[in-house]
Amino acid sequence: MSVRFGGLLAVDGVHLEAEAGRVTGLIGPNGAGKTTLFNVITGLQAPTEGRIFIGDEDVTNLKPHKRARLRMARTFQRLEVFGSLTARENIMVAAEICNGWSRDRVDPKQVTTAVLERVGLRAVADDPVDAMPTGTARLVELGRALATRPQLLLLDEPGSGLDHNESDVLGDLLLDLAGEGMAVLLVEHDVELVMRVCEDIFVLDFGRLIAQGPPADIQANEAVQAAYLGAENEELVEHEPEEALA
Amino acid sequence: MNDVMQYAIVGLATGCIYALTASGLVVTYTTSGIFNFAHGAIGMVMAFTYWELTVDRGLPEWLGLIIVLGVLAPALGFLLERLLMRRLHGATVSTQLVVTLGVLLALIGLASIRWSPTEPRVLPQFFEGHQVGILGVNVTYHQLVMVGVAILVAAFLRLLFYRTRLGIAMRAVVDDPELASLNGADPDRVSAASWAIGAQLAALAGILLAPLVTLDIILLTLLVINGYAAAMVGRLRSLPLTFAGGLALGLAEAYTIKFLPTDMVSKVRPALPIIFLYVVLLILPQARLRAGRLVTTRRVPKVASGRESLLGSGALILVALVAAQFLSGSWLTVASAGMVWALIMLSLVLLVGYAGQVSLAQMTFVGLGAFAMGKFFGGGSLLGIVAAALIAGTVGAIAALPALRLTGLYLGLSTLAFAQAMTVMFFKDERVFGYGGRLAVNRPSILGMSFESDKSFFVLVCVVFALAAMGVLALRRGRFGRKIVAMKDSPAACATLGLNLTFTKLSVFALSSALAGVAGCFYGALRGQVGSNDFEMLNSLVVLLLVTISGINTVTGALAGGLTFGMFPKVQGWLPEAIGRNFSYLGAGLGALGVARNPNGWTSDLSPIGDAIRKVLHLDRGDHDDPTSIDLLESSDETQSGEEVRELARTSS
Repeated sequence: MSVRFGGLLAVDGVHLEAEAGRVTGLIGPNGAGKTTLFNVITGLQAPTEGRIFIGDEDVTNLKPHKRARLRMARTFQRLEVFGSLTARENIMVAAEICNGWSRDRVDPKQVTTAVLERVGLRAVADDPVDAMPTGTARLVELGRALATRPQLLLLDEPGSGLDHNESDVLGDLLLDLAGEGMAVLLVEHDVELVMRVCEDIFVLDFGRLIAQGPPADIQANEAVQAAYLGAENEELVEHEPEEALA
Repeated sequence: MNDVMQYAIVGLATGCIYALTASGLVVTYTTSGIFNFAHGAIGMVMAFTYWELTVDRGLPEWLGLIIVLGVLAPALGFLLERLLMRRLHGATVSTQLVVTLGVLLALIGLASIRWSPTEPRVLPQFFEGHQVGILGVNVTYHQLVMVGVAILVAAFLRLLFYRTRLGIAMRAVVDDPELASLNGADPDRVSAASWAIGAQLAALAGILLAPLVTLDIILLTLLVINGYAAAMVGRLRSLPLTFAGGLALGLAEAYTIKFLPTDMVSKVRPALPIIFLYVVLLILPQARLRAGRLVTTRRVPKVASGRESLLGSGALILVALVAAQFLSGSWLTVASAGMVWALIMLSLVLLVGYAGQVSLAQMTFVGLGAFAMGKFFGGGSLLGIVAAALIAGTVGAIAALPALRLTGLYLGLSTLAFAQAMTVMFFKDERVFGYGGRLAVNRPSILGMSFESDKSFFVLVCVVFALAAMGVLALRRGRFGRKIVAMKDSPAACATLGLNLTFTKLSVFALSSALAGVAGCFYGALRGQVGSNDFEMLNSLVVLLLVTISGINTVTGALAGGLTFGMFPKVQGWLPEAIGRNFSYLGAGLGALGVARNPNGWTSDLSPIGDAIRKVLHLDRGDHDDPTSIDLLESSDETQSGEEVRELARTSS
């Protein structure tokens, strides 16, 4: 797909696939077009060119909520939590919305309890989300996405704002989810996390795909290193801090 | 043929004014992100000021123009930006809307005090009496001035935006305020300048338009609705399209009048701007759902639990029973009216406070309720109340339907247009409220009980409010409530979870309108009869503003807002006549300016009292077991942390 904003080609002929049962990484310097791709996939942004498929179904002309009903869920890089609700309510409302359109009759309360447990939010379940530190709020978004029992999960920097231990736990969770057959597409700056959990990695730079392959290949790839070193210092080597600007 | 040309000239000339007005709106909206509902009111005030200077005090026209356009208008725009609009960056659309509507009403109120509406005034045309023949058509000099000014303004704006430092900074701020400020543009300065220019354009349009219509406060203020429509054509961004839209609307208006049968013209003419606005809104493409908006959320007040709302309602009824023994005469009327207003405002808590949708037409639904109650099932029965709910609910859903796919601001505009259209085409129709425009509405008798006496009616209204409040709170605590709050907090996230936003909005609209319709039954029954003036669009604004001032997120806010409004007639009596007569606009308008400071309203400042009561009654125990607890006396600590999350969310991008 391609996306053009006025004169800027934000995404330039990128072909991307996320397979069931594995975590696929999508990395690249800031402004490479990762979030734009997510928006195109979920229907918040129309592509200038190209098509999007979920399974065999062409969803390019479907509205966001219709796509979500094909079992796709996402999180947001700029948080889109339901700030006036608690963590529990955030997840519960997702489960309820999902019950509204899906045929599976599960108890939203049970789903909520299970998800809270799984993403490790039990202790803060009844705190309002707008008072939470950003890392925790990201976990709420992850939990909310999981509450709709997706088969394709798009995560936009779920690890930023998490400390080293929390990031490890998140990695385990992602591997578990993939192990259960879910397709996980992960945008993440925490390179260590990406290298650990992803089987396949796509690298974007200035809207173009510059590399694709398993972690070892990507780490050795000169184009990738050049792209990163040109944009950010030693990003591939070190944990990247929160950048100041979009 | 000559006729066709004549109408073309008239249409183009008025079209130029619409373009002027609309370009002012676009300039302020694009650079400050705030849609200025007070735009027309600014033009109105400036036209009156110009009248006072030139006609009343006899200054020469050129001096009057310099004073108004060169000094007063930009100063007003500048002050508005400094004192109010600057605080609204990152506020929700409904907060922005309420504050600019506050300016609108305050200006109407102030103008009515200064220039008594009963006194006729005429502002002469420029070069009165002079005209010239072009292509066999008589064109007045004033019309030429209108066209000339519009062309000059268009050229000026073009130069400003493309040739000056300020203009380029303005465009940069539109594209990306953060990036622009990094590159040395000062968004605050740019925003102040744009408000000054916007006010100048409003003044210019007002001065040019006033001689063609009467110098009437409300008329001039509302004429900008046509400007709104033109601005929509330009999608609030493109100035060339805005100008084209203005011209097209002017022409369309002129030709509609020409080709319509004469008996229809008087009826349809006042509704034309609204019809145009509606049509433009319908043509507009669907707004994209945006993720990553920077909304600084304030902590929303806590919601009362079932037990708490039951206790609160019980307490309210108890107080009502006691108060009914002590109140009499006009104070009893004040209290009853207050409770009726509170019931109306409760419908706005559901719609605006919880679901984040905007309605500037709530009194229209109140009117439909009163109409149903008065017309059907004997004019005061339980079935009448049911009919009121059904009719108002259905019309509410239908009215909202076209605009639901649009975002908050557009929804607000379309409800505004709807309210105006209903007044002109429905309520003012003699067949609706009967001969003389007054419809009798009786007090209901329910299950054989009559509520004819003032005391029993007061208690009845309190009971109805208590029940409705419990219902609204239960709704909020339940599945539907979570859904609408989620939709308010992040429509984009809701959509990606599979929620059909249109349907959800539609249901909350229907519910809220139905509740307003029920309130309308009691509104009518309290007064005994209703007329079209009761349900005018400006009254809807007053109600919305007053509930926002006291707290639109809470039942407590509705109660406080209602009682405050109930007090207005009393307060009016205490004030000097000129101020008293305009007190509802003035009070609501000036009060709404405070919403810029605290969007949760003043009742949220009372939350410590609520907490204390909760503690005394040991109601805080169960809080953690019941995640969805609500309260009649909500607590709302506006912590910094809410903003912290957004702040971090932004910096981590």
